Amino acid sequence: MASKTPALPLNETYRDITREVARVPLQMPARIPWLIALILSLALLSLFLASITWLFACGVGIWGLNIPVNWAFAIHLYVWWLGLGHAGTLISAMLLLMGQDWRNSLNRFAEAMTVCAVICAGMEPIIHLGRPWFLYWMFPYPATMGVWPQFRSPLEWDIWAVLTYLTVSIIFWYIGLVPDLATVRDRAKKRGWQVFFGIFALGWRGSARHWAVWQKTYRTIAAIAVPLVVSVHSEVSLLFASGQIPGWHSTIFPPYFVLGAAYSGFAMVAMIAVVMRHTFKLGHIVTERHLDVLAKVVLAMGLMTAYGYVFEVFDGYYSGDVHEIATIHDRFFGIYAWSFWGAVFFNFVPLELLWFRTVRRSPVLLFLISTSSVVGMWLERYMILVTSLYKDFLPSSFGHYTPTFWDWSTYIGMLGLFMTPFLLFVRFLPSISIFEDKEVLAREKEAAAHG
Amino acid sequence: MADQILGFLGEFGTPEALLDAAKRARADGFRKIDAFSPFPVEGMDDVLSLKDDHRIGWITIAGGLFGILGMLAIQLFVNVDYPIEVGGRPLFAWPAFAVVDFELMILCAVLFAVIGMFVIIGLPKLYHPLFGTARFGLASEDRFFLYIDATDPKFDDQDTRRFLGSLGAWTVEPVRP
Repeated sequence: MASKTPALPLNETYRDITREVARVPLQMPARIPWLIALILSLALLSLFLASITWLFACGVGIWGLNIPVNWAFAIHLYVWWLGLGHAGTLISAMLLLMGQDWRNSLNRFAEAMTVCAVICAGMEPIIHLGRPWFLYWMFPYPATMGVWPQFRSPLEWDIWAVLTYLTVSIIFWYIGLVPDLATVRDRAKKRGWQVFFGIFALGWRGSARHWAVWQKTYRTIAAIAVPLVVSVHSEVSLLFASGQIPGWHSTIFPPYFVLGAAYSGFAMVAMIAVVMRHTFKLGHIVTERHLDVLAKVVLAMGLMTAYGYVFEVFDGYYSGDVHEIATIHDRFFGIYAWSFWGAVFFNFVPLELLWFRTVRRSPVLLFLISTSSVVGMWLERYMILVTSLYKDFLPSSFGHYTPTFWDWSTYIGMLGLFMTPFLLFVRFLPSISIFEDKEVLAREKEAAAHG
Repeated sequence: MADQILGFLGEFGTPEALLDAAKRARADGFRKIDAFSPFPVEGMDDVLSLKDDHRIGWITIAGGLFGILGMLAIQLFVNVDYPIEVGGRPLFAWPAFAVVDFELMILCAVLFAVIGMFVIIGLPKLYHPLFGTARFGLASEDRFFLYIDATDPKFDDQDTRRFLGSLGAWTVEPVRP
């Protein structure tokens, strides 16, 4: 799609793009900030490892969950992490198919973010299993006990959805990366780098015959990845719907979950874009226009999520069911009302600033607003779980949930599990798609030449 | 046979120049040609008549069918082999099966597509004679190369070199094994 303002400055050359991106792995700028970030995330990772070691030793009783709130941080964060990941796939796949050129500066690190977030998401149900070393019981293998997995169970949906999503995300990210690995391989001067990138570039030569097949495959996978995203987060919402608890049965749930996921994910991409652009001085490639478009997408997704909130409340009242209505009142006024109103505030109030062009183009403000969205979605997932579970049908089974130290330490430590591979990625691999940006530049130059 | 030539590699500065050169080489009767560029050049698949290759599509469809039917077969089989009766509900819970079937369809379609791609393009192949030429490294930066293979019936050690020059190539290099 032709746009008025070019996505990349026209005075940029192909060589400039290569230099600006390929220099990051080969001659790392910003060594010190990167090292500080890595040390911090390794510290968090250690906290995570300590937490799950204690968890495996003692069992899930160290967390605050109990009957009736037996789904707590683990499932709440599973939904949250998976949601963060979805934006990477949508940016890469959906915008590729729609021919949105601006995606090309953002897709690579967004995909890497997806992979890291899905790893974290996948950990959550596993550590929630109670006896995670029996994870393989979920797979249909001919066991000596003669039993098979229960394919009617949502736990099976989870493992296959996450496994598929993780595999497809890694494949999509990697085959998009191969041509750029070849570029860095050809630029590398030191033997170690040449071997490292040489092996992972698989001997890519940029042959037209290869490009033709590659493009077909890449677009095919993209076309498959879009329904995959929708199916994965719809599956998550069906997970809720298969429970009997009030508050989880609105028909808006699948799209509401998918949009909320995309909303938090695009906000996360905006945060990472702002940080990377600043740290690695990539202002020529991730331009203000990119931030502007990203902010518009965040705004649109946020407003659609807001519609989900409105409809969910409407649906509760419209059902006429006393328990549904009671759950809505619990959300508004109950002891966890802070999570509902917090979600409403953080999700939708700062968001409105994105209506203004100057705000959209200001990296600092965009970063702050996006942070607010990610926090808001965190609260929303908490709210959906806990406010439904703590009061179900019988007053005798009402209860409370307070996260314990180990709940928090597992969660905060998991940020390290997210950040460590991501930091290694930005350090050692081309974190912006070199060849796709050149493609955009070639199109823009041609458009400029022909008026 | 150190002086044996596998083909000639001509270097061009823009995607348009490469596309034009490839068109003229085709028009001149060369068939065993290939182009190398840092990004896919629009229209090149037309010139090299690569448009009608739909193998990836069929491989993907085959993968999808394999995934969905295979998983469905497993689900039906395990429910017969080890039936779990829950409140008289049907053993074949089609709506509950659908989720995993769909995911497996996607997983297998993508795996087939990627493996199919690597088989078709013959990668990974870490070494290729082209890497031995001096300028080829620029094919991943900002140069565009046209390659004419020596097995082409029209190939000639002298004429082909001159022909590439006449197309406007900045440099022409022989590729040796």
